[in-house]
Amino acid sequence: MSMIRIRDLGIEFHQGRRRHMRLRELLFYGRKRMPHHPTFWPLRHVSFDIAAGEAVGVVGRNGTGKSTLLKLIAGVLVPDEGRVSLGGKVAPLLELSAGFAYDLTGRENVHLVGALHGITSAQMRKKFDRIVEFAGEQVQRSLDSPVRHYSSGMRVRLGFSVIAQLEHPILLVDEVMAVGDAEFRAKCYDTMENLLAEGRTLVLVSHNEEDLTRFCTRGLFIDDGGLRADGSMSDALRDYKEAVSV
Amino acid sequence: MGHSVVAVWSHRSVLRTLVRRDLTLKYQQSILGYLWSLIEPLTMALIYWFIFGLLFNTRLVSGGSYPMFIISGIFAWAWFNSAINESTGALTSQSGLVTTINLPREIFPIGRVIGRFFEFLAGVPILLACAVIFDARASWRTFVALPLAVAMQFILLIGISLLLSALTVMLRDIERFVRLITRVLFYAAPIIYPLSKVFESTALPRWAKELYLANPLVGIFQLYHAAWFPLEWPPRRILITAMIGCAAVAAAGWRAFRKLEPSVLKEL
Repeated sequence: MSMIRIRDLGIEFHQGRRRHMRLRELLFYGRKRMPHHPTFWPLRHVSFDIAAGEAVGVVGRNGTGKSTLLKLIAGVLVPDEGRVSLGGKVAPLLELSAGFAYDLTGRENVHLVGALHGITSAQMRKKFDRIVEFAGEQVQRSLDSPVRHYSSGMRVRLGFSVIAQLEHPILLVDEVMAVGDAEFRAKCYDTMENLLAEGRTLVLVSHNEEDLTRFCTRGLFIDDGGLRADGSMSDALRDYKEAVSV
Repeated sequence: MGHSVVAVWSHRSVLRTLVRRDLTLKYQQSILGYLWSLIEPLTMALIYWFIFGLLFNTRLVSGGSYPMFIISGIFAWAWFNSAINESTGALTSQSGLVTTINLPREIFPIGRVIGRFFEFLAGVPILLACAVIFDARASWRTFVALPLAVAMQFILLIGISLLLSALTVMLRDIERFVRLITRVLFYAAPIIYPLSKVFESTALPRWAKELYLANPLVGIFQLYHAAWFPLEWPPRRILITAMIGCAAVAAAGWRAFRKLEPSVLKEL
């Protein structure tokens, strides 16, 4: 059974921004391709399936559509071609402090971000202590002061703690393990391993070979807008290195 | 459209969370708190009463109190005005959230409309107090006109806010444009002057009057006035025009939002 099913996926971006478009063009042509605006496809004709419980690493050069792929799976970008079908909800570890209201306290933000991710207040009562404990002592001490006063590391920790408590079957991770200190990183690794052991499906975008080989059993190499390799993680990494060295 | 209406409805708890967040943020930093949402429209009412009531000596045909006439419309206008002005930034001001968590994007502008609606509700006790002070009588019309006007205004605002929130992402200067348009709309609807003045006017050509009456705000504000001034009850033609207008704006706004959504997400 496939958890993530991607068919002929394509998305077209406009070079430069479209902000100076005329109102008329915008309303009448919508997202259809317009003359005069040069465009490119960060991804096109991409198809693959990811089975439930698989851990897949995505590699590729900078700006080759890895993050775009995650955003398409997360549903925060709408494809221009093809489609993405999911077998369950997504826990996006893309931008960890997204959704925080900086003027609210840490405590309020846990409830806020949890609710935005679909945690009901009954679930939150049960999970709250675990979330706060996971975020670490430093966050616990400032739980009732505004998140504005947190360091960026503390914010990321709190964000990760909330999302790690989601029960959604699909995890999308974009480089987040690069942030935080060594201690927190070790905690993240443990959590990831626990989540994978529970049978969650993981898609991980990273440049860190160690992380990729540690978690991922399958690798995708994306280059030039298309899927260039789909095999074991080491195969994908080898193809990626070859492409980079040329 | 039906599909996305269902999606918004099924995310109503998230919508509630967002509205609560906005209201908390807005009021926790000001001492007067929610009183601000009352002071502003009341000050405006005072100004209009001074100019048009005292200096120009405006009288209602029905003989009611002119200050009450202004107040019966001013809180609804404050809702309309602030909801529209704040909906422009509904997506751009929280782009981090919009581009990380998969929620029906419609809830962001709709949340702004609902947030400002609560401020309107906060003004209702003042409205009732004024009705007592100025001896305006409640009747069955009050209980029909107010909910109907609120419902129509909601539908109209949702359409406008959807369109504006998406357009702002593509054309940032739309915010200024909107401020100008709302100012025009204020005088282009019978809020501080009775509708009869427009009908009586000999200076206005026929086509201008027709154009004026096509504005759905005319019907909506006549309902707000009619809650306290029975003679202001809008003729059926105006009421139906307003209802159709609101529904059309809502449908157009929703459709435009769906059409712009893929490009908007790329731009955010």
